[in-house]
Amino acid sequence: MLRVENLMNSFGDFRAVDGANLAVEKGKIVAVIGPNGAGKTTLFNLITGHLKPEAGKIIFKGEDITGLPPYTICKKGIARSFQLLNIFPRLTVFDNVQVAVLSQHNRSLHLFRPAKNLLVAETNHILENVGLLGKSQKIAGSLSQGDQKILEIAIALGNEPEFLILDEPTAGMSAEETTATMALVKRLAVEQGLTLLFCEHDIDIVFSMADRIMVMQQGKTIIEGTPDEVRQNEQVQQAYMGGS
Amino acid sequence: MFKGMIHKGALSALAGLLAVMLILPCLIPRFYVYLIASILVMALLAMSLNLVVGFGGLFQFHHGVFYGVGAYAVALLITKTGLPQWICFVLAPFAAALAGLIIGLICIRLRQLYFAMIQISLGSLLWALAFRWYDFTGGDDGIHGIPMPDILSGIHNSYYFILTVFTLSIIGLFFILSSPFGITLQAARDNAQRCEAIGVFVRRHQLFAIVIASFFAGVAGVLFVVLEGSVFPDLLFWVLSLEILIMCLLGGWFTFAGPIIGAALMLSLRSFIGMQTEYWTLILGIILALLIFFLPQGVWGYILEKVKSRKEAVVEREA
Amino acid sequence: MDTASTYGLSELAMQLLVGLSRSMILFIISAGLSLILGVLRVPNVAHGSLYMIGAFAAFTVNTVIGGSLGFWLSLILAPLFVALVSFAAERALFCHLYEREHLMLLLFTFALMLILGDMVKLFWGVEYKSVTAPDILKGSVIILGQPFPTYNLFLLVIGPVVGFGLWLFVNKTRVGKISKAAAVDRMMVGALGINVSWVFCTAFVIGCFLAGLGGALVAPTMGLTLGMDHAIIMEAFLIVVIGGLGNIWGALVGSLIFGVTHSLGVMLLPQFAIIFPYVAVVIVLIFWPRGLLKSVW
Repeated sequence: MLRVENLMNSFGDFRAVDGANLAVEKGKIVAVIGPNGAGKTTLFNLITGHLKPEAGKIIFKGEDITGLPPYTICKKGIARSFQLLNIFPRLTVFDNVQVAVLSQHNRSLHLFRPAKNLLVAETNHILENVGLLGKSQKIAGSLSQGDQKILEIAIALGNEPEFLILDEPTAGMSAEETTATMALVKRLAVEQGLTLLFCEHDIDIVFSMADRIMVMQQGKTIIEGTPDEVRQNEQVQQAYMGGS
Repeated sequence: MFKGMIHKGALSALAGLLAVMLILPCLIPRFYVYLIASILVMALLAMSLNLVVGFGGLFQFHHGVFYGVGAYAVALLITKTGLPQWICFVLAPFAAALAGLIIGLICIRLRQLYFAMIQISLGSLLWALAFRWYDFTGGDDGIHGIPMPDILSGIHNSYYFILTVFTLSIIGLFFILSSPFGITLQAARDNAQRCEAIGVFVRRHQLFAIVIASFFAGVAGVLFVVLEGSVFPDLLFWVLSLEILIMCLLGGWFTFAGPIIGAALMLSLRSFIGMQTEYWTLILGIILALLIFFLPQGVWGYILEKVKSRKEAVVEREA
Repeated sequence: MDTASTYGLSELAMQLLVGLSRSMILFIISAGLSLILGVLRVPNVAHGSLYMIGAFAAFTVNTVIGGSLGFWLSLILAPLFVALVSFAAERALFCHLYEREHLMLLLFTFALMLILGDMVKLFWGVEYKSVTAPDILKGSVIILGQPFPTYNLFLLVIGPVVGFGLWLFVNKTRVGKISKAAAVDRMMVGALGINVSWVFCTAFVIGCFLAGLGGALVAPTMGLTLGMDHAIIMEAFLIVVIGGLGNIWGALVGSLIFGVTHSLGVMLLPQFAIIFPYVAVVIVLIFWPRGLLKSVW
């Protein structure tokens, strides 16, 4: 479904992504792991068009999407959440998700119809799915950290994506919240037939959840395979798992 | 924040306010009628600015230009073309919107201060043109004695005309802000990067906002000509643009009605303090400095905050 | 239009020289503005008012002391007075706002402009004032067979001197280097344990000093009126924009463009002379939206 070939990008002299390769099949859950600064977020930013690659190709559903702007890529069915909190803090929770739903239905430019009567059921459905319906009239910026992270995922779902990219969806969460959130993500992925690409620090969660794992280091793909294959790989054991 | 405003109590309060506005001219001296009419004009201008600054998060620092373009367009159309005045009234806001489109297209490539600076330079070019092109714009004298339709003669008639257009424009702005377009604009203000990631072409969206705001600024420009019967280059000068920014600040950035309150406060203060002293700008400067330090959310924003926290306290007590 | 051909080549050169000398004043003022923009990231709207105060203070020094001594002293005392005013405003009020959003900072400088403008009216009154240059700078010298005002020649000399002084400050002094670093990356400066607030203060005061110096220098060339702050600030802003925000040499390039296009305008279409620089600005901005030289941010 998504194929990334020899992707490269650098900031000044620093090669953040230096020949990343990745193939994601439809319906699979793929995790990207690697130490801090390995280029995971940069890779995601390249895929979603927030950065333009210097070399390499990104193919989505057989179509070359390399270098397209983010709003075009989004419309092709790739949605994402961000590592740092990325919501619309002054809007209500409902509006946060509705903006995405409106955009998905190409209604963003409609001028003379009150938004509060539009696509309400769809929006509420998503909120219910992630368990935020009860807080839908709160100002997003006043939610707890954990709820804001979930709201991020809800916003991404508003685009009815086929392909969802989650950049550390549980950053800053407690262990319990992390487990609950990842269970939610897994459930959503299964229910809606999403293809999921995510990165996550908690190795146990990654190995229990992912169908395939890609290991990055210094911008390069070290290995990409099933959890078992990755576990067997010596290089990974040395470099990443500290021989444990 | 304005969704809550439409419930029945607020609606009847607004209807009552409108009724008061309608009978007011019969009760008060002509000077006050004139003052209220000029407040309405300024309030519309400030609200159109707040659409892009408060709700759009853009550094629209030279919004006065579109007001000036609207005013000059109607003045020039009436005095040079001989078209019926009513047609000129309708055309002028579109001229302002066109100016908004052109200036917006150049500015929107850039962000924040760069956006502001380029807008100020383009606006200053228009100001310099109006200031110097004596044959066409009347230069620094401006154009005076612009003929108005008979039905608008006299302060009372123009007051009712201005009130009508103002009310319609406010309703229009209200609908725009609560439309999908308006909500998406606010989302782009809060977080442009995220907004692009959910499939919104943010710059095009913001450009539309500039064009719409310019249109309403142009409407305000037309109303100014209706009220004063003249235009002059100061309408395009950057000082006016900063003054309407102050009105938005005074009333409250993120509130719908804030700019109206700001314009009302500022113009009333100006006419009453201006009568007492020639140092009005000194006082305005001090008021502005005090606002920045002690009431950055604006008068109306402060009131809304208080009301809201009281409501929440009541809810908590009941719970 | 063949107005240009009615001018000889030497008149053309003269007109350009006059334009250049005007550029020098603009440079001194806009370099100060640019310094503040670069370090504090604030367009100082009050800059024009400080320039006006510089001019009026120069007038007072000239009247009190008189003679050529008065003039030379005014070039030092007037900018120092302006620096003092800006220092007081910065430490008492402005420095408490650095954590706030940009718009508030900008509006504060606007408030300062309103206050200072009326202060000038309060202290100096509304009458038209003028300053005469000392004898040595009066009259004109013959260049290329044409008379050229001596005072403009003086400006042509003083501009590069100030520019050189500014270069020394930015590149050779500790404070200057820190300001430059702060302009590029203020997080880093804060991380180095330098008191950023004082760096801002220094840059602000020096920028305002330059505004005052510009005012003192301009005093003998024009009548001093209360509106002079409004006229200059927009020009200085445009110069800084086309030069590249925060780049002092950009301010020089911008001033030259502004001064020279204006004097060309005076020759070609006197009525629209003030439009020429604005057109130049728009052309520059359409092709180089971030200014001609590298902006610091």
